[in-house]
Amino acid sequence: MEWLFLVVSLVAVFAAGMMLTRRNAVHSALFLIVNFGCVAFLYLMLDAPFLAMVQVTVYTGAIMVLFLFVIMLLGAEATSDTTGQMRWLGFAGTAVAILILLIFGFPIASNMLGDETVEPLDSTAQLRVINAIPAEPGKAFLLADAELECADETVSALSGGLSASIFLTAAAGNVPDVLFSDVVYNDPRDQLRGYQELASADYAARASVSDGNCVSSSILEQEIAFAKDSAHTIVAFVNAAGVVDIRSMEDDISEPSVGKMRLTLFNAVTDASISLVDVGQYTAIQTLCDDSACDSLLPHRRLIDELPAGGSVGIELNEGDYNLAFVDSEQNVLRVLADYKAERGIVETRLFVREPGLPGNQASYRANVFSVLGAPSFGGPEAIGQVLFIDYVLPVQLVGMLLLVALIGVIVLARPDALRQAERRRINQRRRVNRPLVSVISQQTGSDVLSGQYLAKLPGGSDDPDAE
Amino acid sequence: MMSSIGTEPYIMLSLVLFLMGALGVLMRRNAILVFMSVELMLNSANLALVAFAQQWQQINGHAFVFFVMTVAAAEVAVGLALIVNIFRERQSINLDDLQQMHG
Repeated sequence: MEWLFLVVSLVAVFAAGMMLTRRNAVHSALFLIVNFGCVAFLYLMLDAPFLAMVQVTVYTGAIMVLFLFVIMLLGAEATSDTTGQMRWLGFAGTAVAILILLIFGFPIASNMLGDETVEPLDSTAQLRVINAIPAEPGKAFLLADAELECADETVSALSGGLSASIFLTAAAGNVPDVLFSDVVYNDPRDQLRGYQELASADYAARASVSDGNCVSSSILEQEIAFAKDSAHTIVAFVNAAGVVDIRSMEDDISEPSVGKMRLTLFNAVTDASISLVDVGQYTAIQTLCDDSACDSLLPHRRLIDELPAGGSVGIELNEGDYNLAFVDSEQNVLRVLADYKAERGIVETRLFVREPGLPGNQASYRANVFSVLGAPSFGGPEAIGQVLFIDYVLPVQLVGMLLLVALIGVIVLARPDALRQAERRRINQRRRVNRPLVSVISQQTGSDVLSGQYLAKLPGGSDDPDAE
Repeated sequence: MMSSIGTEPYIMLSLVLFLMGALGVLMRRNAILVFMSVELMLNSANLALVAFAQQWQQINGHAFVFFVMTVAAAEVAVGLALIVNIFRERQSINLDDLQQMHG
């Protein structure tokens, strides 16, 4: 890798030097193209494949072609390039450049040769809260590391001093967008996943589901170690007994293996473990099959994984279509995911819950999707698109305006001598003569047509001074 | 392709290329070559941005590179149109000939 960088960078510097010293502007432009190509290669080495392609198309493609076009259009291949008076400027500039190179380059080079390397930023831990309680007005899910007295008071007390206590609240039925007012996302994908950044430390997390009347219906007290780079999800749900329950699980946020997707399932049905089975190509499984009929209905089923009661499991699926079914310990099909499409690179979190108040059939179970995320790779077009069109929407618009203005400016500038052409048109027009024709004739011929014998012969004569 | 040589060599190369571009702006009198030197400087800045983005694993640096590229493209288009106009006017693009604003 080092020799590769060395070769490419030497070629880049050589091409830049040749560009500076060539007399012929076309040669300079061609060497600059070589330099840009080397930089594009370095982008590839720096995990920026999309920028490398943009570099090739925009710089070496569009911009340099424009340069070459203008050079050849003007015939300016070898225009005079000599400075008249300020010859010393070149030498002074070279000296200053070498000086700057020494001043700035020496620390970098010494750092490069020594083994003292700069460590990347410490990543913080991540936490997200999923409220899977069926939506009821006034019911919110609170997580705090302080004593929880009353929901409203806690909100006002804790949100004032976030540094002292961690406080999260989630409205019923969804993943909250922003819990803290000053959340900083190191990775824009975390915003899509619903994670919050926390300083990595051990927290005594106290989660509580409370309604608006300061009544906590369930409290979870749990030591959660927010280790560096770890991610946790705290789920509030209604368990099988109809009581609000809270569990926390640690998430695997790494990218799935090549060509696979990761499906994280959380079993919020706490009284029984559930199996996820692949039922194969069978299509008639939309109907409920009870205990006795299942063996004949689902002959090719294959166990994928077991979901322990109140626990989570991460499954990696190969790309393709699946017919998945959630089956309880007595082989009852609780829920079917027919034609489930597994796409590579996707990270999906689903919560398997029982809806309260319904008898135990398929309709009362749901496998709710809580986050689906195609994991864009660093430097890929998807990641750049996300950061450009989520974080930098306004600058993108402004740059678009700039391009529009530049376009109009170029069109105005490039019109072939717009002003002078109008002038020429005015000149070429037939000259309007305000003076009587005879005075023109007399001026140009030198003979005095207004007097004497010529006047009588001219039709109309000088009677009409505004003729023509 | 994971880079195993650290960020410093890239910053070093970026510094060298930037200084070469600056020298080109100072020394060459051909307006087109001055423009190309400016492009060289912008490119070296881009290289530094991408190197730092890789070091910190922050995609924001790539977004800035995009903006720089866009501005560079707009600048080149307008600048070359100006050069074409100046050449039509004076039959020369030597910067020393453009002294009508000389005090």
